[in-house]
Amino acid sequence: MLLQEIISMTKLEFENVTFSYCSKRFMEQMSFSVAEGELVGLMGPNGAGKSTILKLAAGLLSPQKGRVMVGKRAIGSYCGKERAKLVAYLPQILDLQAPFRVGELVRMGAYPYERSQALTFEEAIHIVGLHGKAKTHLSELSGGERRRAYVAMTLVQGARVLLLDEPLASLDIKYQFDLYRLLKDIVREKGVSVFMSLHDIGMGAMLDRVILVKEGQVVIQGDPGSVLTDEIVQDAFDLNESIDIYMETNRTVCHALAVAACKKGM
Amino acid sequence: MNRDNGSTVLIVVALCAASLCIIVVSVASGPRLLNPFSMDSETCRTLLSIRLPRTAVALLMGGALGASGAILQGIFRNPLADPYVLGISSGASLAASFGLMFGISLFPFSVPTLAFVGAIATGAAVVVLGHGWKGLQPERLLLAGVGIGFFLSAVLMLVMTISVDDGLKRAILWMSGDLSMVDWELLPVGLLFILTGLGLALIRRKGLNALTLGDDITHSLGFNPTRERFFLFIAASLMTAASVSMGGVVGFIGLVVPHVVRRHVGSDAAVVLPLSVVAGGTLLCLADSIGRTVAAPLELPAGVIAALIGSPYFIFLLGQKKTH
Repeated sequence: MLLQEIISMTKLEFENVTFSYCSKRFMEQMSFSVAEGELVGLMGPNGAGKSTILKLAAGLLSPQKGRVMVGKRAIGSYCGKERAKLVAYLPQILDLQAPFRVGELVRMGAYPYERSQALTFEEAIHIVGLHGKAKTHLSELSGGERRRAYVAMTLVQGARVLLLDEPLASLDIKYQFDLYRLLKDIVREKGVSVFMSLHDIGMGAMLDRVILVKEGQVVIQGDPGSVLTDEIVQDAFDLNESIDIYMETNRTVCHALAVAACKKGM
Repeated sequence: MNRDNGSTVLIVVALCAASLCIIVVSVASGPRLLNPFSMDSETCRTLLSIRLPRTAVALLMGGALGASGAILQGIFRNPLADPYVLGISSGASLAASFGLMFGISLFPFSVPTLAFVGAIATGAAVVVLGHGWKGLQPERLLLAGVGIGFFLSAVLMLVMTISVDDGLKRAILWMSGDLSMVDWELLPVGLLFILTGLGLALIRRKGLNALTLGDDITHSLGFNPTRERFFLFIAASLMTAASVSMGGVVGFIGLVVPHVVRRHVGSDAAVVLPLSVVAGGTLLCLADSIGRTVAAPLELPAGVIAALIGSPYFIFLLGQKKTH
């Protein structure tokens, strides 16, 4: 099957994936999928296996049982450059002190290609709002700007599936919204699938779909309104306090916001 | 051409011009100043059999050390990495000093050959020890290099302590970067290994850039981190081994030259590697010509002079960075 055909039907699928490390079982028979042009959030408590799931999806880890499929082929069956054109992965911990200028970093996204890409590094820098900073050293940027520089690199990479491990961590609310809007635009305009782990319930409520995991198992998946309910979240995160989640559903007027409020004294 | 590329080209032109001037000065200077406009047979002999090979070796050694430093700082993601942190120089020093102190001269160029074999054997041992279940991991590789280096240095000190003859002084000189024994015949093999290492590194320049961002992103960009690290380690080892075998241990250049180059032209390996070769070679060439001239007929080790010239400039750059 030609890579172009694979790209045209890119879909990330976990088929009964089991993964263990050092005789500890991290996930058991996990199955789910992320469709083309979908913005999906991966949520769950610390240690639930979110980073492991993203690493399996990126081909950094191999499952003991089951298959991780991208575009009808196992992720491990692609050669490096083919895989890089399909899947881009940004880890949770980025080297924010890497000795590069923004332009140098963003240009690296074109490494899997022999020729220059449709999206040039200047365009990618513009999209993430770092225009005029191509020659600035990463160390001179704020945390949010550095993260956006890495996102620009993955845009130049042009992968069909974007795997982001807690991209909103350490960003203030403005940068969180900026990044969310950016990802939403990429999904809608380019048909890219975005699969990202996150902790913020408010941000989770704005995604197309949420997959809630706990102890290496999918607890529930579906639209945020059905997944991020008081009972499910309370149960998944083993909360002793009861919470109320208020969901604004009128997305056309204002992106949905969920507010988790502890009922003090209960 | 944009302003960024323009300033890089300007820096390249300035560096090449400075390098050419320093080469001319290096060839002409020494205990006896050579006048290119009055060449008698004695001057010709000095030029062809002493000055030119010595200048060529200094350029090659400095260039190899500069490029090796740039590679190792990238693959270890550690600004303190240099060609000697991997224990390669300790292996070369031990083997060469053994040859010098015990007068091993079974074949021509036995000391450089021993140094090269010692360096390559140490590099191989570091790779074997640095290979964990996840492949060649930078932390493991670094620890293996430091551990082996300390062990070999301890053995070297032991051998030097029990050695009393004239070979000991020669061994100490060699370990300070002694270019007084260079010969044309050293060049072809050294040049071959250095060009091989540099070529390999330039082919893998994209992998080197990616490794600087960490293994996960390297993988995401389509590279195999272990394979890239292995090839780049081989490239750095070949260049370091060739350099050490030609003129002994010269510190400082491999550590500092890549930092200075990056400060001026950014961190893209495609630019940093060749410029580190030119800057490293030029610095050692200058250091060697000063070392053999200022206290003639006494020769000061090129490595010591390189550090004395380069350190103040490096400290000046650090100061500038702080004020930005």
